[in-house]
Amino acid sequence: MFLQFLVCVFASISFAVLFAAPKSELVYCGLAGAGAWVVYLGLLSLGCTSAVSDMAACFSLTVIARLLAAVRRNPATVYLISGIFPLVPGAGIYYTSYSLIMNNMADFSANGISTLKTAGALVLGIIFGSAIPQSWFNALGSLRKQT
Amino acid sequence: MAETKDVLMLAVGIGEAMLGNGAEIFRVEDTVLRIINAYHIESYDIYVLTNCIFATANETRPDAVSIVRHVPLGTTHLGRIAALNQLTRDICTEDYPVAAAMERLEECKCIPFAKRGSQVFFCGLGCGCYAFLFGGSGFDAVSGFFIGLLLQLFCDCLKHSKASKFVVNIFGSALVTFAAVLLPWLGAPVLYDKIIIGCIMPLVPGIALTTSIRDFFNGDYLCGTIRMIDALLTSFCIAVGVGSVITVCRILSGGALL
Repeated sequence: MFLQFLVCVFASISFAVLFAAPKSELVYCGLAGAGAWVVYLGLLSLGCTSAVSDMAACFSLTVIARLLAAVRRNPATVYLISGIFPLVPGAGIYYTSYSLIMNNMADFSANGISTLKTAGALVLGIIFGSAIPQSWFNALGSLRKQT
Repeated sequence: MAETKDVLMLAVGIGEAMLGNGAEIFRVEDTVLRIINAYHIESYDIYVLTNCIFATANETRPDAVSIVRHVPLGTTHLGRIAALNQLTRDICTEDYPVAAAMERLEECKCIPFAKRGSQVFFCGLGCGCYAFLFGGSGFDAVSGFFIGLLLQLFCDCLKHSKASKFVVNIFGSALVTFAAVLLPWLGAPVLYDKIIIGCIMPLVPGIALTTSIRDFFNGDYLCGTIRMIDALLTSFCIAVGVGSVITVCRILSGGALL
């Protein structure tokens, strides 16, 4: 698990560099992405389905991103975009097209539907994460200012 | 008090820069409104789409201004968005002269991307890491690293020759697949599917998908739809690139390979 965390930090940081995130935020981008990935793996190992784990991971990513945004005074997008890549259904896209090419229609529909489910789970995760009122995060931001 | 025209030019200029660098619609709208309010303009209207901005101010007065800007979809640059956000915050909290703000806007627009070498390196690193995260072995990760380097170099070349995004995606994913399929054929003990999954990550439309959802959530159905179509088409292109190479390899090897 720790190795996965570490690798995911590096993966998120690399993508943050590709999207030219500010240098001072690179480490936080990495931590946000890896945090979400650990939530995903943890829930999977507890026996949740991948859609539920994806939703929970995306929710925590959104919350982490908004927390960081309030504390570090940067747009939440910076952390959200670099952190979401481990959760995006890239593997699903690959397996769906692979089984289509192989003319394996049973696998194709199973993979296609699970890809759609993953994308939908991400949507719900972000929506729930965005539904938390901004004032809570602002309060945290100003708390840090006082200390 | 500053001239209406200068203020609106500044506000729309900042909005345009944010939009061109991949900010969400509601952030752009919010930014433009805040700046206009900060300079005490009372009557105004703005409308932001994924690729353009319309704005008018003081419509009924002699100094009426309206601005329309076309903003082509650009590459995401998070650093510029963060810098413009900071500029907006400064404009709103203190009495910032318009001319000085304009100068800072120009500076923000010029924040460079990472150097070419480091972009190539980090693309490789990212691909290798993702190949490992999605279940590959250490050896898969190392192969992913090198294929990632190749992918970024290839995409750079195509972008320099102004190829369309679809061409970049189709040929990029085809290149990745070809390189990954070649490895086990040469006798390397790798899981080629894990390498492919890791290496198409830089092409996968993660940003378009996320931004689209956030636009939908903020009630911008039109902008959300534009981005969603972008995301769907991009994933379709990736699927075509990967799929065609696999098919060709199967035909050439008579089904023995793969």
